[in-house]
Amino acid sequence: MTLLESILTGLDEARRHLGQTLLALAGVVLGTASIVTVLALFGGQAQLTQQYLDEVGGAGTLIAGDAPRSLAPTARELASERLTYRDARYLRARSTTLEALAPGWELNLPYRANGRDFSGQVAGAVPDYARINAIRPMAGRWLSDLDLETRSRVMVMGWKYADSLFDDAASAVGRLVNIGGKQFTVVGVMEREVFRFASWEDNALEYRNERAYIPLSTAFSQFAQTDNLSFMTLKAKPGMVEQAEDEVRALLYARHGVEDFELRPSGSFGGGGESGQFLLLFNYIFLVVGAISLFTGGIVIANILLASVVERVRDFGTRMALGATPGGVFTHVLAEALVVTVLGGIVGLAIGAGLTGTVARVMQLPAAVTPGIATLALGTSVVVGLAAGLYPAVRAGRLSPVEALRYG
Amino acid sequence: MAALIEARGLTKTYRLGQVDVQALRGADVDVARGEFVAIIGPSGSGKSTLMHLLGCLDTPTAGRYVLDGEEVGGLHGKRLAAVRNRKVGFVFQTFNLMPRLSIEENVALPLKYRGGIARRERRARAVAGLEALGLGHRIGHRPEELSGGERQRVAIARALVGGPAILMADEPTGNLDSKAGAEVMRTFEALHAAGNTVILVTHDPNVAARAERTIEMADGRIVA
Ligand SMILES: Nc1ncnc2c1ncn2[C@@H]1O[C@H](COP(=O)(O)OP(=O)(O)OP(=O)(O)O)[C@@H](O)[C@H]1O
Ligand SMILES: [Mg+2]
Repeated sequence: MTLLESILTGLDEARRHLGQTLLALAGVVLGTASIVTVLALFGGQAQLTQQYLDEVGGAGTLIAGDAPRSLAPTARELASERLTYRDARYLRARSTTLEALAPGWELNLPYRANGRDFSGQVAGAVPDYARINAIRPMAGRWLSDLDLETRSRVMVMGWKYADSLFDDAASAVGRLVNIGGKQFTVVGVMEREVFRFASWEDNALEYRNERAYIPLSTAFSQFAQTDNLSFMTLKAKPGMVEQAEDEVRALLYARHGVEDFELRPSGSFGGGGESGQFLLLFNYIFLVVGAISLFTGGIVIANILLASVVERVRDFGTRMALGATPGGVFTHVLAEALVVTVLGGIVGLAIGAGLTGTVARVMQLPAAVTPGIATLALGTSVVVGLAAGLYPAVRAGRLSPVEALRYG
Repeated sequence: MAALIEARGLTKTYRLGQVDVQALRGADVDVARGEFVAIIGPSGSGKSTLMHLLGCLDTPTAGRYVLDGEEVGGLHGKRLAAVRNRKVGFVFQTFNLMPRLSIEENVALPLKYRGGIARRERRARAVAGLEALGLGHRIGHRPEELSGGERQRVAIARALVGGPAILMADEPTGNLDSKAGAEVMRTFEALHAAGNTVILVTHDPNVAARAERTIEMADGRIVA
């Protein structure tokens, strides 16, 4: 008997045992549907995370910062000046793997403007910072090289500050704002940065709207006695992130004589937040439900198959008397299991696609059943079918014709 | 006439737990092409065991067996299945039709297991076989819709469809009333008359009387 005929016979048997087949199908359908939905939502999450990473500077951006001080610092550690503006200049001069770099400084300072007082973040930045982070002013302008050279007392406000201090964000341009007792002129307001992991979530990028940027050189001269940096944003040349990380590490180590700095990919911290946690939990629940259903479906199939093999022992004996080989009987039973699970897989895939669409619409999440997910789901049902059919098939294939004919 | 079956010292020992059951204790059997032989004997004497060995359903514990010029005594599994499929047609006491298949699907089964025969041709040969046994009007029916005698004739058509060298039947009338049994026996006689070799196992002296020759068994041995 050829493989094709075994499969046709299997189909036949599945059709003829429709009741049992439907029962077994239910498990496989539920399992496949759950897995498809979870994978589609996972895929949507991955896509969101990628978008978030792009939003905060994209893959290929590194952040350098001071490492926490040791409890018992060595002499070298004490001698190091930590991350400075000179480090940034040195890297810019020596690095072959970086496309751009932006040294940064930040401090919480008292703000006073438009008759209001509060404390908020002030960031010392360079012109490249906006380019690396792909942010633009919505009104006025961004910091210029001239601002840096002349240490001018100008300020570019984040959208939230401008919006809450003045009637509307754009009207902040040209106004005076006092920070840390020094008067600054607002020359620009940045576009609002918004990124939500889910429609009901808070804006994951709101922190970027709650600050004001001043020239880094001004920050040093007005608010710091040193040129110590809070961080450095490094943009690697395309496809050179790893080389850039190694090179920057080596160059900084050479200057500091000790590894008192940290290097990490941008966006690797913080992203996702609560919504990420929630969705992850949601996904795990679905995945566990899917795995359990598939497993149960598999066991149900194996049991039904085993029972139907026992029920048909004499039939198999007769088939062998008519010339069926042990291998043919084995394939016959396996094909029955496969037919049931593949059928269940296809129905489950359809239901999963529908479920994904509904969840995506109701929760406003990106999620799609890709060809890869469909293949994986069907592949899983084939594997479950093979696993469930194996034992009954081996049992049937091992029957001796005479024993089988005498059975029952 | 050329020997179709040549068996020497056929022995079959079944192992039941710790006990060996000697179902067959060395049987010599010769059957010529075209013969009609009945195997008779009391219950448990080894008739079915002998038939299973001659029909290649089982492998003897000891002994030599040449079927249609081919040494088959040592064959197992797939090879034995192939011999069975090509050379032997079986008819059982309980008909053993597949309940969910139509009668022509049932009859076509041996051709399916032979492989390499297109579905359409298998069906055509099955239909022809059924018509030859006067069952043409039953095509498309399920076995359960047929009478016992008709079912057994379907089983005979199935046994014949592959053109076997020998037709074997174990108590083919055992589950039939006398009228249906007589009808089935007429079928066997007609097949014999047409040149087929037939071996059947029976308890019934009337049935045995229809055969050309009887092999009588007792306690695992051929006694006459
Ligand atoms: N598969 C088996 N396992 C164990 N013992 C068996 C097996 N097949 C047959 N026997 C035993 O071998 C002996 C011969 O059995 P067999 O079926 O050949 O007898 P029989 O002549 O066909 O009897 P009956 O007329 O009742 O059908 C019996 O004692 C039987 O119990
Ligand atoms: Mg018997």
